[in-house]
Amino acid sequence: MLEDILKGKKSLFETGMQSVLRGQENRARRIVIQQGNLVVNERSEQNGVSAKVYKNGVSGFASMAEYTPEAAEMVLKAATENAHYLHKYAQKEKPALSAYRSGWAESKRFIIDFEQKKLVDICMQVDKYIVDKYPKLTSRTVVYREDTMEKVICTSDAFDGHVAYPRCCMYVVLNMESKDGQPLELMDVIGGFGHADDWFKDLSVVYEKIDNVYKKLCDKAEGVYAEAGVKTVILAPDVAGMIAHEAVGHTVEADLVIGGSVAGPNLGKQVASELVSIVDYAHTALGKQAPLPVYLDDEGIKAEDAVLVENGILKGYMHNRETADRFGVAPCGNARGYSFSDEPLIRMRNTVVLPGKDTLEEMIASVDDGYYLLSTGNGQADLTGEFMFGINMGYEIKHGKLGRAILDTTVSGVAFDMLKTVDMVSNEVKWQAAGTCGKKQRMAVSMGGPAIRCQITIGGR
Amino acid sequence: MAGIIEVSDKLKSLIAKKGDMKAQYTVALTQTREITMENGEFTLFRTLFDNHVNIEVIKDKKHGTTSLNKFDDKSLETALDNVLLSAEAGSEDEFFDIAPAMEPAQFHLGVKEPDVDKLMQRAKEFSDDIAKKHPKILVMQIILKHVNAQSIYRNTNGSQDEKTSGYYEIFVEFAGNDGTNSTGIAGTQVVTDNLDTPFIELGSIEKDLQDAEDSLNPISVEGKFEGNVIFTPACSVQMIYYALSNFVGESVVLDGTGLWLGKVGEKVAADKLTIAFKPWDERIVNHEVHTDDGFRSEDYTIIENGVLKSYMTSLYAANKCKVERAKNSGFDIVIEGGDTAFSDMVKNMKRGLIVGAVSCGTPSGNGELSGVAKNSFYVEDGQIKGAVTETMINFNLADMMQNVTTLSKEVLCDGTMVVPYIEVEHVLISGK
Repeated sequence: MLEDILKGKKSLFETGMQSVLRGQENRARRIVIQQGNLVVNERSEQNGVSAKVYKNGVSGFASMAEYTPEAAEMVLKAATENAHYLHKYAQKEKPALSAYRSGWAESKRFIIDFEQKKLVDICMQVDKYIVDKYPKLTSRTVVYREDTMEKVICTSDAFDGHVAYPRCCMYVVLNMESKDGQPLELMDVIGGFGHADDWFKDLSVVYEKIDNVYKKLCDKAEGVYAEAGVKTVILAPDVAGMIAHEAVGHTVEADLVIGGSVAGPNLGKQVASELVSIVDYAHTALGKQAPLPVYLDDEGIKAEDAVLVENGILKGYMHNRETADRFGVAPCGNARGYSFSDEPLIRMRNTVVLPGKDTLEEMIASVDDGYYLLSTGNGQADLTGEFMFGINMGYEIKHGKLGRAILDTTVSGVAFDMLKTVDMVSNEVKWQAAGTCGKKQRMAVSMGGPAIRCQITIGGR
Repeated sequence: MAGIIEVSDKLKSLIAKKGDMKAQYTVALTQTREITMENGEFTLFRTLFDNHVNIEVIKDKKHGTTSLNKFDDKSLETALDNVLLSAEAGSEDEFFDIAPAMEPAQFHLGVKEPDVDKLMQRAKEFSDDIAKKHPKILVMQIILKHVNAQSIYRNTNGSQDEKTSGYYEIFVEFAGNDGTNSTGIAGTQVVTDNLDTPFIELGSIEKDLQDAEDSLNPISVEGKFEGNVIFTPACSVQMIYYALSNFVGESVVLDGTGLWLGKVGEKVAADKLTIAFKPWDERIVNHEVHTDDGFRSEDYTIIENGVLKSYMTSLYAANKCKVERAKNSGFDIVIEGGDTAFSDMVKNMKRGLIVGAVSCGTPSGNGELSGVAKNSFYVEDGQIKGAVTETMINFNLADMMQNVTTLSKEVLCDGTMVVPYIEVEHVLISGK
């Protein structure tokens, strides 16, 4: 656990320079068992300290791979010098950033480390379960990944704090051949906030998940290609969450709004059906702890929820202190850096489509000819809100009933057009907390949603 | 270099005390200076001092790796103890190994110290050039970086490589924007070892900016048809990477699912396609000097005139699967240009697309790929009709490699690759 060695350095903050010192440790554990072979068996620790210093529109930043009082002094000095250097090139003088209330914030849990042997043994047990129960698979991979971070934050004019984000997850990838001999793959993930004991003390949940993946893979082996074109679909929570994050969330990050995103001219306008509301939660969501709770960001702003879309109306953006001033609003604590040497960027936290009133059964029964799209391996969207997601599991819906599985396909569309077609929203939200967003730096994020019924373009031959 | 040699010596002595084991380790010191411009203004200047130690051990045929960013004795001792514990926790596998001793060598690549004042001048000039020549471009970020790294690699078989390198990276993220309409986001990057040339003239920067400006009023492609696609060099690399990693990458070789397994020596691509990985090509600015396993990196050709020559495998996968290891572990791709000018490729196209990027999920094992054509233009009867929106392309990566018809004369050299425009036939293109 990091000690707070930074508070005593506040006296070194230069007057008139808004300064933040951040000590941080990132810890990674990675185990990959492929076909029973332990091909990756890795532990890494990285810690250090960084300083960010703001001066009238420009910032200096410096970091060092040491977490000591001396290193803190050195990075503060270097960051201050960098700010002064860059200020010479500033075209116009900008005012100081708005000050915020100060205090101390702390997260509720800290990080527990486990011996690698325990983690390897867990993965071996899971691998054995798969090979014993499902010998017909052509291949299998079990991956354990832990990416925890701990931060000590010390600011000149906002909150200080000590926060930690323990996270671990396990990926299970199963492969078999389709009926015509083509390789097929299906993956699922278990895990999120917490430690190995939170998620993998009792492996029955993992085994249940594996059984489910195997069953779906068998369905997929008999699957058919989806028919291309605009279709009525039910997007399962995994897919709805991905759309909330990729196709809406990124367009309402204020730095991308300034960069010309489609959200810019649409603030206050109807961008989705009235059934759609999207929130980026800080630490508590829908009456429970959020999947990846964030209490304090890296600029010393206490984290609060950011309402993005409310009943179809675009309500707001996500900010850092600088963009919040530019837009005349208060920031909600979205500025975060992945490693000690990363400057904070505007990042999502727990982004979710809020639940509606329909049941999934009613929704499936309502579709005469369409698809139920269950999971997405990955997705991309751009500033226009045009998105594309790979769909790696889904079923036909014929006359209100699930039909044959479909082979891998893609869906695409323009978010604010597609969301206007949403006409049913299920009453149950599911979260996915193993995600890593890649916007210049990596960042742990969670996303989720209910099932939604909408019109979407399906790719394919 | 003195500091990291000392750290490396310390590790060498700690490892020697642990008895009979194989190990390889790298100690590196990096200093990065990075300047960011946003919307035409300098906003951030970063200086990063990073240490890195990577240790890989094989003891009793068990394998473990660790990395840390500390150089002090106690951290090194703890890291070594922990990685041995990790290895103990693993399972025996006789195929883990490291390379035999190489000749000790020293490498000096690029320019060690940055000229920050010159970098600032070039940055300002770059921003001004974009504003002047491309008024309908909204620049989100320009990130300019100089990375200076010193590293030493050793293994218990006696290898020792010392490397110092310094290079500049120029990255610009932008969109076409005329105040009313905006295109999708685009980015382009160049790696260079000097500041002699205005940045706008490097790599494909100027062309990419022009393409974004020309994409402001996109058209819809009607219906579905089979046509030709000219992939830009950057997009060609994306597609070839998908194909190679899906069919002959380490993971698919290990689990035996790659479509091209057992096909070394057989024809898998069009005759005119030759793909090589050449870290020592003078057009590649910063490159590996030894593989991840400790062999001296060598250039190699993975596909020669359409014939598969190698898999992309490490020493472990090669030992395990009884195949030859790849001669380097990087992706310094070199595809030499053909004999047709890009403009003639367009003129000769009956109907199809020029595709700058494909937004798609990771393709499945059978090579099927379906994605949205981004930064792309519709071509009919040899004429570029306009940028496209909401247009999907669909093809199989294995078929794509067989269906290459033309390579352009022009090649993109951005310091990380040498690749021409590549035309492929029989691609399914579908509009709204």
